[in-house]
Amino acid sequence: MGRIGITTTVPSEVIFAAGHTPVDLNNIFIGDEQPMRFLEQAEEVGYPRNICGWIKGLYSVAVEAGDLDAVVAVTQGDCSNTHALMETLELAGIKTIPFAYPFDRDYDLLKMQIEKLMAALGTNWDEVKRVQERMRPIRRKLAEIDRMTWQDNVISGWNNHLYQVCSSDFNGDMDAFEAWVDELIEKSADAPERTDSIRLAYIGVPPIYTDLYSYLEKRGARVVFNEVQRQFAMPSDAEDLVEQYRAYTYPYRVFDRLDDIKAELERRNIDGVIHYVQSFCYRQIEDMIFREKLDLPILTVEGDKPGKLDARTKLRLDSFLEMLE
Amino acid sequence: MICGIDLGSRSVKLVLADSDGSIKEKHIFSTVDFYREYGRVDEEGLRIDFAKLGIEGIEAVASTGYGRNTLDVVGSMVIPELKAHVLGVVEQTGLTDFTLIDLGGQDSKVIKVRKGRMVDFATNDKCAASTGRYLENMAAVLNISMEELSKHSKDPVELNSTCAIFGESELIGRIVEGHSTAVLAAGVNASIVKRIKPMVRPLLSDTLVLTGGVALGEAMKVLLQEAFGRDVIVPCEPQLNGAIGCIRAVRMKQEKGK
Repeated sequence: MGRIGITTTVPSEVIFAAGHTPVDLNNIFIGDEQPMRFLEQAEEVGYPRNICGWIKGLYSVAVEAGDLDAVVAVTQGDCSNTHALMETLELAGIKTIPFAYPFDRDYDLLKMQIEKLMAALGTNWDEVKRVQERMRPIRRKLAEIDRMTWQDNVISGWNNHLYQVCSSDFNGDMDAFEAWVDELIEKSADAPERTDSIRLAYIGVPPIYTDLYSYLEKRGARVVFNEVQRQFAMPSDAEDLVEQYRAYTYPYRVFDRLDDIKAELERRNIDGVIHYVQSFCYRQIEDMIFREKLDLPILTVEGDKPGKLDARTKLRLDSFLEMLE
Repeated sequence: MICGIDLGSRSVKLVLADSDGSIKEKHIFSTVDFYREYGRVDEEGLRIDFAKLGIEGIEAVASTGYGRNTLDVVGSMVIPELKAHVLGVVEQTGLTDFTLIDLGGQDSKVIKVRKGRMVDFATNDKCAASTGRYLENMAAVLNISMEELSKHSKDPVELNSTCAIFGESELIGRIVEGHSTAVLAAGVNASIVKRIKPMVRPLLSDTLVLTGGVALGEAMKVLLQEAFGRDVIVPCEPQLNGAIGCIRAVRMKQEKGK
């Protein structure tokens, strides 16, 4: 049994089915007490300053870990910087396995990618389906956490983010993860209903800021929709694994994401949208599509380095909340 | 007396007004000097030494500005920065529907206002090229005062760099080419307008209002009028606009309490 790093959400069913432990490098990076050191390490070996902080973080985390048997890297549907990330990881002696989400959500191509991953890690459909069924109740519980966030109003925006974002690798242990999820559901069932004056949606990749959710909540606003994090948890509940990863909106066209976002904004009674973009990321361009297609007020927040919110971003958040009141 | 303070990145603006809002005193300090001479930080936040400033009889203080996210002024009502600027324009011009372009020391803000309320905004982020600090750097390169720089808007030379640091070397290149100071200064001013154009375009109104230190002098007003084909209004006190907005916020609160 080995440890397999991942650069973003991939079919973790395949990794577990092959008897390995998936390790989402993003979570190790941002969960570290001093995530900034990973950026510095990457820049010291030659990563440019004007490149996404996440890529640099992933690189250094993988190199520092030293015990990864391979890294599954998403070469299409996430970020083209990943190509150079793979190459530099190879340079550092780390094996990489490419995984590509087909841009047009083609069923056959996606199935082939999943089967390639199965072959690379050494497993088969029977095992993968067994794991998929093991995950199903956990994924449903994550959907329940999400529902309790926006409908019962008993769960914070941060917990909504955290539990769903961790479903990319189930923290490497499905049983322990499920117990952790159960605990939150149980604890929250009797929690008093929150009476926030402003309900926010958070769209875009997870934030590199560590205190965004708590900052908003201190000011009477709560995130009740975390778009991409919810997608990581695979809310489609599809029978077929290929369909499950086709329904997963993040790696495909932005217009598919838009359909999902629009439906959720409506259902969750949202006052305003925070669109998070990472500095130097191509997804910054897509901001203009959201601004054109969404009817709610949007604040675009750009994050570069890990850590607490900077004064300027706080000022912009304050003004946005002030405007929504 | 009501005191409004705008803690800017380059200067601190302090305005004193009567309970009816009429301005009695106005002061502008360099930010560094202000904190050194008149400020003291304790556990509660920033304490301002009004006695040393020679100011007496203050009933209420309101503060805003970049500094307020790191320091709250002790005993003051804290006004979010964009709100302070909107209120300042409403107070100074009586307008209720407009787009405000505020160009400060490190900030450029564009705020769309309808019925006296902010409905959308954009601010610069991660880069301060379109701000007063950029103009200060460029004036220093041209060896002219800010006042002189802000006079010129005719026949601007083309400047492409969007970085306030690399912009300097580009400007030096233009100086070597032999252009007059007037067209070089106009080029510097025009580059600011070029830079903020994409921020203003989606938030445009029939009326544009220009405030902030950069609004002092004619050039920016003229260039914005040319760029957007509409009148640009500069209130009497463009630089004190945020502090004046603070005073209005206090008065609105007092009215409510009555």
